[in-house]
Amino acid sequence: MNSRIYFILMAFLLATACNKKLDVPPQNSLTPDQIKSADDVKAVLAGAYSTWQNANAFGEKYNTFGELLINDGDIDWAGTFESYDDLHQNSQVTTSPEIYQVWANSYHTINAANIVLSKLGLLAADEKNQIEGEAKFFRGVTYYYLVNFFAQPYSAGSTSSNPGVPLILQPVSGYDPSRDKLPRASVEAVYTQIVSDLTDAAAKMPASNPAARATRFSALAFLSRVYLSQAKYAQAAAASNEVIQSGRFSLVSSIDKEFNNAGNSSEDIFAIQQTSQSNSGTTDFGITTFYSADPVGRGEIQITPAHLAKYEPGDERAELFYDGESISGSTGKMTSKWRDLYKSIPVIRLGEMYLTRAEANFRKGGTPVGPNSPLADVNIIRNRAGLGSLGAIANANVIVMERYRELAFEGDRFFTVKRLQLPANGHPYNFPRLILPIPQREIDLGNALPQNSGY
Amino acid sequence: MEKLKILLLVLFMGSWTWSIAQNQTIRGKISSEEGRPLDGATITLKGTKTATVANTEGIYSITVPSGQATLVFSSIGYLPIELPVTGGTADVVLKKDDRRLSEVIVVGYGQTQKRTVSGSISRIAAREIENQPVQSFESAIQGKAPGVVVENSSGKVGQGIKVRIRGTSSLSASSQPLYVVDGIPLTTTSQSDINNEPTNPLADLNPNDIESLEVLKDAAASAIYGARAANGVVLITTKKGTRNNKTVVELNSSIGISNPTTKRGFLNAKQYVELIKEAVTNDGKYDFANNVSGFGSEQEAIDFYYNYIKDNYLDPLSLGTDWQNAAVDVNYEDQQYRKNALSRQVDLSLRGGNEKTRFYASGFYNDQEAIVIVNRFKRFGGRLNLDHSITDKLSVGINMSMVRSQLDRVTNDNAFSTPGQIMAQIPISPLYDPATGDYNANTLYPNGLLDAKYNSDKQVTYRNIGNVFANLSILPTLSFRSEFGADMLNMTQETFDDKRTQDGQGIGKGQYFTSQNVSFNTNNYFTWSPITGERIKTSTLLGMSYLQNDLRQSNEQAEDYPSAAVKNLAGATNVTFGNSVNARYNFLSYFLRSNVTIDDKYILGGSVRMDGSSRFGPDNRYGVFPALSGGWILSEENFLKKSSVINFLKLRGSWGITGNAEIGEHQFLDLFQVSNYPGLPGFIPFQLGDSKLKWEKTTQVDIGMEFGLWNNRVSGEIDWYNKQTRDLLLAVNVPATNGYFDNVNFLNTIFQNLGSLENKGLEILINSRNIEGKNFKWNTSFNIGFNRNKIKNIEGQVIEGSSFQRAVEGQPIGVFFMPKFVGVDPANGDALYLDANDKPTNDYNEAKRQVVGNANPDFTGGLTNTLSYKGFDLNVFFTFVYGNDVYNNAGRFMSSGFGNGLDNQTTEILKRWRKPGDITEIPRLGIFMSSGERTSSRWIYDGSYLRLRQLSVGYNLPSAVINKFRITSARVFIAATNLLTVTDYISDPEVNTLGTKVTAVQNITAGTDFYTIPQPKTFSFGINVKF
Repeated sequence: MNSRIYFILMAFLLATACNKKLDVPPQNSLTPDQIKSADDVKAVLAGAYSTWQNANAFGEKYNTFGELLINDGDIDWAGTFESYDDLHQNSQVTTSPEIYQVWANSYHTINAANIVLSKLGLLAADEKNQIEGEAKFFRGVTYYYLVNFFAQPYSAGSTSSNPGVPLILQPVSGYDPSRDKLPRASVEAVYTQIVSDLTDAAAKMPASNPAARATRFSALAFLSRVYLSQAKYAQAAAASNEVIQSGRFSLVSSIDKEFNNAGNSSEDIFAIQQTSQSNSGTTDFGITTFYSADPVGRGEIQITPAHLAKYEPGDERAELFYDGESISGSTGKMTSKWRDLYKSIPVIRLGEMYLTRAEANFRKGGTPVGPNSPLADVNIIRNRAGLGSLGAIANANVIVMERYRELAFEGDRFFTVKRLQLPANGHPYNFPRLILPIPQREIDLGNALPQNSGY
Repeated sequence: MEKLKILLLVLFMGSWTWSIAQNQTIRGKISSEEGRPLDGATITLKGTKTATVANTEGIYSITVPSGQATLVFSSIGYLPIELPVTGGTADVVLKKDDRRLSEVIVVGYGQTQKRTVSGSISRIAAREIENQPVQSFESAIQGKAPGVVVENSSGKVGQGIKVRIRGTSSLSASSQPLYVVDGIPLTTTSQSDINNEPTNPLADLNPNDIESLEVLKDAAASAIYGARAANGVVLITTKKGTRNNKTVVELNSSIGISNPTTKRGFLNAKQYVELIKEAVTNDGKYDFANNVSGFGSEQEAIDFYYNYIKDNYLDPLSLGTDWQNAAVDVNYEDQQYRKNALSRQVDLSLRGGNEKTRFYASGFYNDQEAIVIVNRFKRFGGRLNLDHSITDKLSVGINMSMVRSQLDRVTNDNAFSTPGQIMAQIPISPLYDPATGDYNANTLYPNGLLDAKYNSDKQVTYRNIGNVFANLSILPTLSFRSEFGADMLNMTQETFDDKRTQDGQGIGKGQYFTSQNVSFNTNNYFTWSPITGERIKTSTLLGMSYLQNDLRQSNEQAEDYPSAAVKNLAGATNVTFGNSVNARYNFLSYFLRSNVTIDDKYILGGSVRMDGSSRFGPDNRYGVFPALSGGWILSEENFLKKSSVINFLKLRGSWGITGNAEIGEHQFLDLFQVSNYPGLPGFIPFQLGDSKLKWEKTTQVDIGMEFGLWNNRVSGEIDWYNKQTRDLLLAVNVPATNGYFDNVNFLNTIFQNLGSLENKGLEILINSRNIEGKNFKWNTSFNIGFNRNKIKNIEGQVIEGSSFQRAVEGQPIGVFFMPKFVGVDPANGDALYLDANDKPTNDYNEAKRQVVGNANPDFTGGLTNTLSYKGFDLNVFFTFVYGNDVYNNAGRFMSSGFGNGLDNQTTEILKRWRKPGDITEIPRLGIFMSSGERTSSRWIYDGSYLRLRQLSVGYNLPSAVINKFRITSARVFIAATNLLTVTDYISDPEVNTLGTKVTAVQNITAGTDFYTIPQPKTFSFGINVKF
C-alpha cells in the first residue's frame, strides 16, 4: 500500500516540474518595462513617425477627410465607402468607424509622444533636447489636427468656452475609468498647448536631422500654420520667414517634381516617407488608394471640371490631372499629386511658406517681415507654375486663390476655409457638419465628452 | 525513472500474488458476444465477499479456496452467469441484457455504460456521419444531437464552421467547443491568412475514420476538461481493431454532383434598363421639386441625370452594344457557379486482429468541388490504429493519422474579386470583350471572372494527429494509462494575383504564408475500481495532463511580376512584406473523478480539475473546476421493476463549474509592438492589459431523464439546463484617448473579467422503433433543442460585432441593432424609419438605432426516419431551425434601387414605389436622390427553415450473389443532400458570413448574409463493399 502511494506521489512530482513552463513571455511584442534604454526611448519616438504614416493621419485621412468635407463642388466622390460618401455630402454619422479611427490614431501618436517625454531621463544630455523637441512636435501637430477636425475653428471665437478635445499630456498604462475618462479641454487650452509644444520643439530640435526626420524648421513651418489659424499674422509671417530665410530649402524647378518622389524633395520641410515595405496602404486605405486611378488606386476621389476651371491658361498646376477610372468603372479626372504608390507624402513645403508669408504680411500690413513684398512672394510661386508675374495684389483673396491652386488636394483648403470663415458646400464655415462628430463609442463609454452640436 | 518505478511495482505486485498461492487461482477472460473484452466486469465467489474486476483486456484472476467454487460473472448491461469452477482457466461470454440500456459511451479519460452515467452526453455513431458529401464531420452532425447547433458559414468548401453546444457562453472569448480525438485536444482555430475568412482545421480529419462522437454537454460530463470545457467538449473516437481473427476489408466510394440550393434572381437586361431609366427620372423630379441643383425645368433635370448615367456608365459598360434594346443580356449570377460541381470519395479500410494485436488501417481520398467557381477541396491520407497486448497486464498502442489537404480558395465575401460578387455586374455588360477575346475587363466592378481565371490561392496542409499509449494493470483493481500525443499542422498558403486582374493592381501580387501549429499533450492517469461487494461499485480516476502548443507563422508578400509565367514569389521582383511570429501557450492540469453506483440504482459522481494556463498572470494562473452529479434508476426499484410499459427510467442531475480561456496569448499585459517607419525602426503601444485577468467561469445545472418504454421500442432523453457564465472575458472598450490603439484591428480594448450571461434550455430526444418486422423495419429519431441566451450584465459596455450587431444587456447575443424600417411614404416613395419618439421619419440621421432582430433560433433539431425492407433501406433526415432572423447586409447594394451604385438588382425591387399613392414596402428607385439605401431592418428576414438534409436509398445485394465474389456484404446507394428547403429567406438560409481578422467577434456576428454562397444541393451515388 505504501509503495502505491509513493508511486502516485512520484508521478505527481514529475508533473509539477511542468509548473514553471506556464511562464511564457511574449515573443512578438514587448512589455513597457522593456523600455529602459536611450535606444528604446528613441524607438518609441520612431513609433510616433509610423502613426503619422498610418492612413488615419498624414498617410491619408488628415488629407482626404479635410478635402471631402470642404469639397465645394471640386471633388466627386465615386466610391462605395459610406463614411467617405457621408463626408462628401456633409452627412457624416457619429458611428462612422473611420472617424473613430482618426481620433484613436491621433491619440496613439500623442501617447507615444507622452511616453517619450516621460522617459527623457534615460537619454544622454546631448540628445535629450532633440528628442524632447521631436516628441513635442508630434504632440503639437497632432493636437492641431484633432482640434480642427473635432471642434469649431479658432476663428469662430468663444475659444475659452468652445469645447476642443481632451488634453492628455501624461503617458497611460493599464485602465482606470476614473482617471481615463477625460472631459474636452477648451479650444483655447488646446491651442495654447499646441503653440507651447511647437515653440518648444522649434527651440530644441536641430536645424537638420537625418532620415527625413523633423527639424526645427518643421516646427516653425507648422507654427506658421497655427498662427494663421489664430489670425496672428505677425507671428505667422515671422515663422514662415525664418523657414524661408534659413536657405535650407529651395523650390523644385517645376511643380510636378514635388510629388511622387522617393524621399524628400529640396522643397519639403516635412514629408512622410513611404517604401514598398512601409506605407499607408494599397487597397482599402492610403492616400494613393483614393486619389489614384484604377488599378493603382481605387480612383474614387475625382476632380470636377469646376476645379479645373480655377486655373489660368498656361498654369502648369493645371497639368497635374489625368484621366482615369474608378474601381467601380466611373471615369473622371484624378490629381497626379498622389498618383504613385510608395512615394513620400509632402506634409509641409516651401511653396506654402512663401504663400503664408505673403498672406500674413499682406493682412497685417505695415513693413513686411522678411526681404520680400507679398507681391514678390506670390510671383515666386506663379513663376514656378509657368505663369507671368502679377503687377499688384488687389486683395487678400488673390493670395488665397493662389494658395488654393498651389496646395490643391494637399489637405490645406480645409484649414483655409475655416480660418477665413469662407462658405463651403453652400454652408457657412461654422456649419455643424463641417467638423467631425466625437466618435459615438467614446460617448457611449460614459465620458464627459459633450457631442458637437448638430449631431 | 518513471518506467523503472512501474517495473519495480509490477515485480513487487507479482511476488505478492505468489506469496499467497496456497489457494487456487482461477484466470480467464470475459467478453461479450461480439468478442469485445468486458472491462470492469465483476467476478465474485458466490456467497462471499471475495471478488475481483476484469481489466481493460477483459482478463481477470481470482484466488479462491481450493476445491469446488461457484463464481458469479456480471457486468452492467449483461445477464450475469454463475459457473462452477475447479481451478485453471474459465473464459466466459456474457449475453446482453436487452432489458437494460447497455450502450457503452466514451467519457473523458475512459469509457462507461451509458446506463450508469449521471451527466448529459449525446452519442453520434459512425453510421450517422459516414459517406456524406461534407468536408468535415461537424457538418454532418447538425440536427443529430439536441442542443448542438452547427452553422455552416456558406457553400464554400473548407470554410470555418460555427458550432455551439447549449448556446454561446462568451462574448469576447471563443465559444467553439473543445475537440478531443483519442485523448488529444485538437487545434481548431483557423490557421489561414487573416485577410480571408477562417478555414476549418477539422477538415483534416476523415469523417469515415470516426467510430463515434460523444458530445459532453453538462458540467458533470465536461468538467473533467475543466478550464476548456465551458463551451462543451466533443470526444472523437476513431475506429479500432477487433479481436476476432478475421480481417475485414471495406471499400467505400461515392461520386456526387452539386448545384446551388437556390439562386437569388436578378433583373434581366430589359428590366434593368427600364429601372435605371425610372431611377434617373425620379432623381430629376426630386432634384427639381426640391431645387437641389437649380435646374430650369423638370425635364432638364431628368435629361441631365439620364445623360450622366448614359455617358459615364451605360455606354462604356455595354461596350457600344445596343443596350437600349437589351442587345446583350448576361445572367452574371449564373457565372459564379459551376455547372454540376463534382465530388468524389474513395475509402479503403482494413480492420482486424487477434488476442495479441488489433489494428485498423485506412486510406482515403476526397476531391470536392464547391458549387462556386475555383473553390475546391482535396484530401488524401491514411490512418493506422494499432494496439498490442504484451502481457495480460500491459498493452501498448498507437493511433496515427496523416493527411494532406488542399484548399483552392476564393477571396473573402467582401472583396470585389470574390466570385460571390459577380452577380453585382450589370446584365448589359457583354461577358466577353471582342477586342481582347477575353472576359470583359470593363465591367461595373472589377470582373471577378478574370480573377477566377488568372489568380490562384492554394492552401496546402499536412496534418499528423497521433498518440502512443500504454495501459498497465497494476492490480486487478488498479490500472494506469499514459498517453503521449501530438497534433502537428503544417500549412502553406500561396496566393498569386495576376496583373490582368483587380487584385493584381496592374503589377501582379503574390503572398506566401506558412503556419506551423504543433501541440504536444500527455495524459497520465490511474483508474481504481476497488471491490466493495456486489451492492456498491465504485471507480476513481486520478491523473494529470500537460499540453503545450507552439505556433510559428511567416508571411511574405511581393509584387511586380513580369508575367504570369512564374507564380510563386520567385516570379516577383519587389518584396513588400515579410515577417515571422511565434507564440506558445500551455495548460497544466490535475484531475480527480469518482463514481459510485449502489444497487445498480443510485449513482453518485464527483470530479474536480485544477488547470493552470500561461494565458493568465502569475497570480491568477490556476482555476479549480468541480462538478457533482447524481442519478437514480427508478426502473430498478420494485415498484417499476415489473412494469410492462417502462423498462428503463433514470433521473439525473448535475452541477458544476467549467472555464474558458480562449482569448489568445498575453492578454493580461500592456504591450508594445514593433513599427517599421522607413529608416526608423520603433516601438508603438498597442495593447492594454489587466494583470488581474482570470478564467471565465460557467456554472451549469442540468436535470435530465432517460427512459425506455415497451422494451425500448420507445426511448429517449429529456434535459433541462441552466448555464450561468460570470467573470466574462470581455474585450472592454476603453477611451481611445488612452492611446493604446490596435491599428491592425482598429480597437481600443482591454480584456477584463466583466459581466455575466446565461443560457437556459430544454433538449428532447426520442427514438422509436415503430415497426420491427422480419422484413420490414421502421425507426424514427427526433430531437429538438430550445436555448435562450441572455446577456445579463456588461455594465453598460457597447461591444460591437459589426456596425449593426452588438451585445445589448437584457438581449441575446447577436441581436441586430440598427434603424427600424417601417415602410414607404405613399406620397413620395421615401423610406420611413422610426425616430427617437417612435414616429416615422424619412431622415436617416433622425432614425433611432434599436434592436430589430435576433440571429438566435428559438429551437433547432432533426427528424430521422429509417426504413428497411429486405435488402432495401431508406433514410429520410430533416433538420429544422426556427425563429432566427437573417440580415442581408448586401441588400444595400443588390436590393436598394440603385441608391448605392448601379449594381444589378434582385427581382425583389420590381415591387418598388412608382407613383404617389402606391402602397409598397420597396422605396422609390434613385441613383443620386435615393432613399432607403442605408443599413436598416429593411433587409431583415425570417431565417427559419425546414430542410430535407439527407434522403438516401440503399440496396444490399443478396448474399447469394455476392458470395460468389468472396464479398461479405455489398451496398449501393443513391443520396440527395439538401434536396428540399422550406424557408421565407430570399437565398439559402444557412448563412453566417464570418468576416476576417478578429475571430472573437464571431460570437456577436451571426445570421449575416453578404454575397454569401448558398449551400449545395448534392446528388450522390456510392457503393460500400466488405470483403
